[in-house]
Amino acid sequence: MRKALLTVLAVGLVLTGWLQSPDSRQLRAETTRKAPPAAPAPKVKLGAMAPDFTLQYFDGKDLKDVSLHDFRGKKNVVLAFYIFAFTGG
Amino acid sequence: MKAFQQNLARLEATDTQVLGVSMDSPYANKAFADSIGVTFPLLSDWGGEVTRKYGIYHQEYKAARRVNILIDKNGKVAEVALDREAIDPAKIVDACERRTLKN
Repeated sequence: MRKALLTVLAVGLVLTGWLQSPDSRQLRAETTRKAPPAAPAPKVKLGAMAPDFTLQYFDGKDLKDVSLHDFRGKKNVVLAFYIFAFTGG
Repeated sequence: MKAFQQNLARLEATDTQVLGVSMDSPYANKAFADSIGVTFPLLSDWGGEVTRKYGIYHQEYKAARRVNILIDKNGKVAEVALDREAIDPAKIVDACERRTLKN
């Protein structure tokens, strides 16, 4: 009987430890994380094919489609990504 | 975008089309273009699918990073200018003019 009780107690202790550990691990991670992670490098690589896309713009009257492949063999394209409209640059 | 507008004649002389891209709506972009006198298209990547495909979505801004990418006539990436380097389009304009001389 006493042995059974001890076993239950031991199992209980192990379980509590197991349940608590993810929390404490997360806590540690939060306290050690200070600087925000650096933005990852872009997926575009020099010399690699640029991913194709079709996007729209408004010409004042209609929405117009523009696809990267429209320019293939005709023109170079500069994609100028910017953060938000009405900001500098 | 204004800086690209100022260099537009040089870029067009090298057979280069400038396309602005942001995650704003097409209508916000049109108003922005008109307010700063930009004549090239400002494309709307509403939802950010293309921005993510190019790997330049910025988690903190919830928007694109400032990046200029030159793509040649074969569809290949010829030059990339990132963040602070992308404010002045000189790197891209130079690359276009170098390529024209070479061809």
